[in-house]
Parts: sequence; C-alpha cells; structure tokens
Amino acid sequence: MRSYTFRKMKDRIMVSLAYMALVVALIPLASILAETILRGLPAMNLSFFFEEIPPLGEPGGGIGPAIQGTLIVVALASVIGIPIGVFSGVYLAEFRQTRIATIVRFLNDVMTSVPSIVLGILGWALIVVAIGWSVLAGGVALAIMMIPIVTRTTEEAIKLVPMTIREAAIALGVPRWKTTMTVVLSSAKRGIATGILLSIARISGETAPLLLTILGSRFWFGGFTQPTAALPLAIFNFSQSPYYTYRAWGASLVLIFIILLINITVRYATREKYG
Amino acid sequence: MSYKIEIEDLNAWFGKKQVLQNITMKIKENVVTAIIGPSGCGKTTLIRCLNRMHEITPRARVTGRVLLDGEDIYGEGVDPVTVRRRIGMVFQKPNPFPMMSIYDNAAAGLKLNGISDKRRLDEMVEKSLKAAHLWDEVKAELGKSGASLSGGQQQRLCIARALAIEPEVLLMDEPTSALDPTAATKIEQLIRVLIEDYTVIIVTHNMQQAARVSDHTAFLYLGKLVEYGPTKDIFENPRSELTEKYITGEFG
Amino acid sequence: MSRIIDTGLEELSVMLYKMGELTYKTISLSIKSSLNATSAHSQIHELSDMLVSMADQVEDKAFELIARFQPVASDLRTIKSYMKIGYDFARYGRYAFDISYITQRVGSLKECESWIREYIENMGEKVLNMVRTSIDSLRSHNTKLAKAVSQTEQEVDKMYFRYLDKLIEKGSATNKCTISSVLIVRYLERIADHATYVCESVIYLATGGKITLR
Repeated sequence: MRSYTFRKMKDRIMVSLAYMALVVALIPLASILAETILRGLPAMNLSFFFEEIPPLGEPGGGIGPAIQGTLIVVALASVIGIPIGVFSGVYLAEFRQTRIATIVRFLNDVMTSVPSIVLGILGWALIVVAIGWSVLAGGVALAIMMIPIVTRTTEEAIKLVPMTIREAAIALGVPRWKTTMTVVLSSAKRGIATGILLSIARISGETAPLLLTILGSRFWFGGFTQPTAALPLAIFNFSQSPYYTYRAWGASLVLIFIILLINITVRYATREKYG
Repeated sequence: MSYKIEIEDLNAWFGKKQVLQNITMKIKENVVTAIIGPSGCGKTTLIRCLNRMHEITPRARVTGRVLLDGEDIYGEGVDPVTVRRRIGMVFQKPNPFPMMSIYDNAAAGLKLNGISDKRRLDEMVEKSLKAAHLWDEVKAELGKSGASLSGGQQQRLCIARALAIEPEVLLMDEPTSALDPTAATKIEQLIRVLIEDYTVIIVTHNMQQAARVSDHTAFLYLGKLVEYGPTKDIFENPRSELTEKYITGEFG
Repeated sequence: MSRIIDTGLEELSVMLYKMGELTYKTISLSIKSSLNATSAHSQIHELSDMLVSMADQVEDKAFELIARFQPVASDLRTIKSYMKIGYDFARYGRYAFDISYITQRVGSLKECESWIREYIENMGEKVLNMVRTSIDSLRSHNTKLAKAVSQTEQEVDKMYFRYLDKLIEKGSATNKCTISSVLIVRYLERIADHATYVCESVIYLATGGKITLR
C-alpha cells in the first residue's frame, strides 16, 4: 500500500512538472501576442490600412502600400514557386530511386537551411544587378525560398498515397504518368495544399531577402520592375524612428494576424471530417 | 468453348528470386477458373502477370508467353496499357478512389481514358452498376462519397468500375477475403452471373470458395502448377497426392 | 440472385423426376406382360439397367454437391433424401425386372384361374397407385399426399398374406401358376414397401422428422 501512495505522488509531481513546462514554453508566444496586440491596437484605424508610409521621422500615415506590397510579392513568389515545387515533389516521389532523384533530394534539403539573406543576395545578383531594385527580384528570391519547402511537403504527401490507389488506376488501363497527374495528385491534394499554405505563411514574414531585392518604398505599387513596400520592411523602418513606434507594432500586428489567419485556415480546411 | 487465355511457359522473378516456374495452362472462355495454393505459392503473381501488373513492381521480371485470343500480350511492341483495358482487375482490399463520388468512381476508367460525353457516361455508369448488382442500392445517391459504402458495397463498386471499361476478362485477387461472410456470398453469386459475359479468373486462399464458385481449379505450389482441371475432379478425386494433401488440410 | 447451390439441386431433382416416370412405366409394363403374356423382357431389362445407372449418377451428383457447396439444414436433408429415393427407384426397377424374369422363366399368369388373375391385377393396380403417389409427392414435396400412402400400404400387406391363405385353401391349376403367382405377389409387396420408403424420405426432406408409415 505504501508504494502505491508513493507512486501516486510521483505521478502527480510529474504531471505538474509537465504542465509547468508547457506553460513556460507558451510564455514567449503568449507574450509576443499580448505585446503586439496591446501596443499595436492603438494604431488600428481605417486610415492606417490605406494611407501611404510617411517619410522617416514623420508621424501619421499608414501601411497601406506595405500590405499591398507583401501581398503582391508573395503572390508573385507563389506563381513561380508553387508549380516548380509541386512538380519537383511529384518527380521525387515517383522516381524515388533514381540517381538524379537522390541528388535533387539532397540539394533540396540543403536549400531549406540556406540563410535567407543569402537568398536575398542571390536575388540581388540575378535580377537587381540587371534591372534594378524590383518586385520581380523579391518574387524570385522568395520563390527560391519557397520551392524546397513545397517540394518536400509535396513529395511526402504523394508518398502517403497508398499503392492500392495507384494500382486501381493502372489496372484500369491508365498510363503511369496520367495516374500520377490525376488520381494520385488528387488524393494527395490536402497534403500538398497544406504544404503550400504553410510555405506562403513562412515567406510572408521573411525580411532579409526583401531587403536586398525590393528595397522598400513609401508608395503604392508601381510596377514589377520598381521597388515596393512590404510589411517586414515597414516594421523595420518604423522601428528606426524613436517616435510613433506604435506604427511598427501596428504593422507587426497586421503581419502576425495574416500569418495566424493562414495557419488557422490550413488547420480548419484539413481537419478530419469523418471520425 | 474456346480458350480465352493460353499461358505458355511463364516464369516470373522478383529480383533474383524466382516466383513462378514454367507455368503452362489454357483458360476457357466464360467460365470461372480458380487458382488455389498455400501462401507464397505464386498465385497472386500469376494473375498479375496476366494483365501485366507484375512488371510495375521494381525489379520484377517475366518470361514466357500469354496469349489473349491468340495474341501474345508480352509480344514486341504491345502496350501494357491496352492489355489492361481488355483484362480488368479487382483487388483484395476494396479500393474505391477516395474523395470521389460513387458515380465518379464507376466512371473513372472511362473518364481517364478520354470519354467525356455525359450521356454515354451516364449510360455506362448505370450499366456497370447494374452488372455489379449495386445499382438498386445506390441509384438514389450516386453523388455520395465512394468511401461511405459498406465493405461489400465498396467491393461491388470496384467491380463496377472495372466492368465499365468493358474488359473481356476479369481477374480477381482474393476479392472477398476482406469482407464479412454475407457480403462474400453476394460477391460469389455475382461471379456466377458475370461469366455469361466475361471470363473470370479468381485467386483465393479459401478452398471452399474455389469449390463453390469455380468451374476449373488450378493448384499452385512453390511456383509450380501441380494440377489443373474441372473443379469437380479436383475436389473429389485429385490426381496428385500433393493436391490431395492440400485439399484435405494436411498442410497449407 | 439465386444461390450457387440451387443450380445443382435443380439438376438433381430433374434426374429424380425422370427416374420416377421411368419406374412407373417399367413396373406397369412388367405387370401387364405377366398378366397377358406379352414379351417385353428385354425392354424391361434395359430399363432396369438404366435405372441402376441413373441411381449411380444421382449418388455422384449428391456427393459432388456436398463436397463443393457445404449444404446445411434443408439443403442437406434434401440431398440425403434424394440419394435414398434414387436407390428406392432403382429397386422399383429391379423388382419390375424380377417379375418379368419369372414370367419369362417360369411362366405367365395368362393360363391361370381368373380369381388369381383378378387378384393380382387388383393388387398390381394398388401398388402402381402407390408408386404414382410416391412420385407425385416427391415432385411437389407434398407431405399430406405422402402420408396417405400408409393406408394403402397396410391394404397391400393384408392382400399379400390373404393371397397366401387363399392359395393354400384353393390351390391352383398348375405348379407354374403357383410358383409364378407367389413370387409375383411377393415382388409386388416389396415394391409397395419401397414406395413407402420414398414417401418417408419426402416427409423427412420437408419436415426433418423421421417417421415410419408402415
């Protein structure tokens, strides 16, 4: 009997420790959210969303162009990155054992851990040197960041599609490539969509690549070959000025909100529908 | 009655391991031929060679001839895809396409092979679901997900899907082993009806099923064809002692 | 959809019906030939052989159904009964052959006293009715019809022993007559017995109950 009581106590201690660890782990996230919300809320008014960025040091203004810029650059990166990433993922999953596949997979994994600033320099070297600071450069840099993530998640999603599905299609007299492009892709679409959305959420918040490619600006979008604003850059700039830092917090709040929204959407859209 | 399929000296390997040895047999048209034998005897490999599915496994190899209506499906320049349109297959675990409705599942083979005329698809879907004796049960809810059906119904859906592309031969790899007895019986009765229009070859590890359902039975052991003949003879008076031992349950 | 075993059971019933009709024909032919001295022995011989071979086929088929389809309950009783009835039908044929053989070997009843001829004609008719009943009750699985045979069986039984008594009392014109007639009424009595067995099998098939109708 004595050892039972002792075990129960040990059990309770362990559970409490686990809970405490959880709380400690959540503190940073909670505090970020709390701080951002508290400090950013004062900036939330309609004009904040639509006005242009004021020159350094001046009060007022908004982050309209920054939101627009982020959306455009991310969209451009997606348009470039998603198709390349998905097709690479499909290739790796279907030709798993070949020499090329092994090499590509290895390079892909390496690329996922390249520092983002390096990608920024790449974008700079490729595009900015040729045509100047531009949205195009930013899009390319972010696309390069996106591709390895999408490739990896697509490959995993396709690998999860059971062989029985493929065999069923093949047995119907459907050529191998068609099986992959229709039945397999369609079965994997949830996993692929998750991967895509998460990579979008990831690149939306990247600052370094944008520093060296789109440069940043105070004005609305002016063309793909022109520099443009973006939320991470806006946050950086606003925080340079000692006054009116609420604008930086406001921009942070908006950015975090966008990323949170994407994450929650992904979770909701891919939830288990049937128990 | 003529021979629909003639297998001549078929050998098959997985890498270095030989799984089938010198199989030679002639399969009659419009009958049910069962292939029985203990686990690992090569029966699944055998039927997968008949619709050229064996070769999609990496490092799989086949030699020999398989004549469908007199023409070798392994001949020079023969596209396996066309073979598979004439010889359909139903698998052990029912595998309707997930995220597709009953209608789409039945029509899948047709759609993927380029047929898009709605009227023709409707016609073929109804015809094949009727042939699989599933029409009455699902005709009111063709839009429901294929996965929402019971196991037995899913398997009949898979049969309908295979029949929709109008094959001549239907291969069935242990089609009822994942089903409950009542559903299994329905499928067995269905098979007896199907032979009016198709030639059926069924692999089963359930000897009694082979006895009930088939007209001819082939007994495979360790990759070799031990005995092949009318089911009545195999189960009443087998010629080979090995067959007798297997059937009476001494091993396997 | 019909059950897989139904085709086999159907084939078995058809075999039996054919046999039944054949036995009726064979028995009536042999009775007539012995009363009227018409020669039909080789035909009756052939028919009897055919019935034996058909009974073999029935047994074969029954065992095939058992081996292949694992029948239970009413299916199993049906197959068991059919096998027995096949054997009983073959016995009908055998006794018809025996009657015909005696007629040929010892002599027909044509020259016997009219009382003997009438008696045997009467008995023959009763027995043929029993055979008819047995075949019909099988065809329709009619237990009421089958049970009715028990009364006629008792009558035939009485007739058999009464004939022996009468023969002892009255005697007959020739030895041939005596021997032929005694053997023939004996065979008729045996046919009646088998008709009863058939009816008992029909009742077993339909109800699962084993009763005796004798």
